[in-house]
Amino acid sequence: MQQPASTQIEDGVIDVLKNVSRRPIEPTLESDLVADLGFDSLQILEVIAELEDRFDISIPLNGVPATRTVAQVVAQVARLADSREGPPTE
Amino acid sequence: MNRLRTLPEALGEAARSAEGYTFVADGVDRRQTYAELQASAFRVARALREAGLRRGDLVALVIADAEQFLTALFGASIAGVVPASLYPPATAGDLSRYFTLTAGILRTAGARAVVTSAALTSGFEAVRTSCPELALVLSREDLVAPPLEPDALPSLDDIAFVQFTSGSTSAPKGVALSHRNLSANVNAINGPAGLGTTADDSGVSWLPLYHDMGLVGMALGALYSARPSVLLSPQAFVKRPAEWLKAISHYRGTVSFAPSFAYDLAVRRVRERDLEGVDLSCWRVAGCGAEPIHAATLAAFAERFALVGFRAASFLPCYGLAEHVLAATFPPRDRAPRVQHLSASQLTEGRQATAAQAGEQSVTLVSCGRALPGHEIRIVGADGREAQEGEVGEITLAGPSVMLGYYRDAELTAETIRCGWLHTGDLGYLSEGELFVCGRAKDVIIVNGRKYHPQDLEWAVFGIMGVRRGRVVAFGIGEQGASERVVIVVEPSGTAAADVLADTIRRCISDAFGLYVDEVVLVPSGTIGRTTSGKVQRAATRARYQRGALIGRATDEAGLHA
Repeated sequence: MQQPASTQIEDGVIDVLKNVSRRPIEPTLESDLVADLGFDSLQILEVIAELEDRFDISIPLNGVPATRTVAQVVAQVARLADSREGPPTE
Repeated sequence: MNRLRTLPEALGEAARSAEGYTFVADGVDRRQTYAELQASAFRVARALREAGLRRGDLVALVIADAEQFLTALFGASIAGVVPASLYPPATAGDLSRYFTLTAGILRTAGARAVVTSAALTSGFEAVRTSCPELALVLSREDLVAPPLEPDALPSLDDIAFVQFTSGSTSAPKGVALSHRNLSANVNAINGPAGLGTTADDSGVSWLPLYHDMGLVGMALGALYSARPSVLLSPQAFVKRPAEWLKAISHYRGTVSFAPSFAYDLAVRRVRERDLEGVDLSCWRVAGCGAEPIHAATLAAFAERFALVGFRAASFLPCYGLAEHVLAATFPPRDRAPRVQHLSASQLTEGRQATAAQAGEQSVTLVSCGRALPGHEIRIVGADGREAQEGEVGEITLAGPSVMLGYYRDAELTAETIRCGWLHTGDLGYLSEGELFVCGRAKDVIIVNGRKYHPQDLEWAVFGIMGVRRGRVVAFGIGEQGASERVVIVVEPSGTAAADVLADTIRRCISDAFGLYVDEVVLVPSGTIGRTTSGKVQRAATRARYQRGALIGRATDEAGLHA
């Protein structure tokens, strides 16, 4: 069951990135949020807020500077979603 | 409340009320009365004295937490030392570059001590070798001595604090304000021609306290009138702009200030479901300043949030700058923003505000109102005489809010304050006594005798696909006996090919202004610096270009180097 779950997260992250960007971008796992996709600090905080809502997680801000690529974002979301306790939301 | 008071005096008076600040972090609020904050400040004051600091020593405060910052500021003032506010590192910034820049400020200012959060002390210890006068690096958390009975209280003419602004046009400079300056400005802000503060008012703010609008406008403004203020963190707002509006609604805030970009962010990012239960009818004064004000942004905000009780007449677009404490002009309250639609070419070329004709390229400017009571404003034309009604010139200000000067920089102070008039470097004109701001004097590009404001070119380029939002700098490079070369520096977002992007930018500027762009330089992300108030560092970028230190690709010099 791990494959579908991680694909779902990957699709979700890419969807959020596309929505926040408001420009046509084609993020891949290797894309760098700042250098390749052109996100500024305001937009990165917006991405975080959107990811928190979509995956029902809380992303600590102090881990943000180390996160640069889409793959790192996906991994962090997966980790946080995984460690989330209690019954699944819907 | 027209009496002038020092910061410790104002704190002492507020401490006799039951009011205070409410600090909101991570959804938890913590109320501290002014009396409690004064008690903490006394402890800080004693600790600073015991650490060996003496009257007049400069203490740099680098503290992100609002409560810790404010009590350190008050404590330093009570101890008779001079507090200076420096901006803390950004959430996602490069720390080593931050310390290099900050060390430069500490060295120039001759700071004796840094007070910072425990996490940053080792970083500051490391820069001590390059700052000979920096004797102490103190952790704010450790400043808890038994309260000090004040014995070195400042007088009205002592420095209240030094604010290191990064100004749009150059390296950071320290604005030194006396207690007299501070109190005069705060009194005018709270007075009948400003906010008209009453016993029913309460503030809500997410603005950073190392910036004048957050510190003076929202925190000290409330303190001097012994009114409550709710302080959120800037990150909380940027992450979820709805938190700002929810806080105003929840705490029944009547006064809240923000730069134009924040109103735009709220329009774009607040969702319908965020507004459930939100009621903004309490919001009496929605101040807007600290950066150019977009009329369209204010209109969009008013329209969007009318359904939750917001009124366009609550907007208070104003003009000011740190060198004038904070505020310089206010429009009348309870009036929707007054705008003028002007001919773009008349404004830039003719330095004249003329109504735009149909079909003509136009610019919409928002009135920032009149000079504060007891203060004066004068527009100075290029030839040094006072400008006529509607004629664009440099905005100059006089009165009790004009700063003491730039800290330890007599030369720059003498250039900036001449015969009591503060030369702001900003361009504007007066229309029926009200000020309309149009840009900065020093950055004007002149080509073939025609003048262009770089900001206008930058705004045009912002909208082009493939450009990182807000990361554009335009400037002119003067050449002996010839017209200036127009250079546009851009951080690409990577969504458009370099040659296509340069071509699009040139076409855009040519279409909008009839101006040829000599060179488009694409630079890596992060090259174009921003000031603490979010303005692009135009002069700094230009200087780097001239030194050949701008690492990038000149995509097309177009072979026009004659």
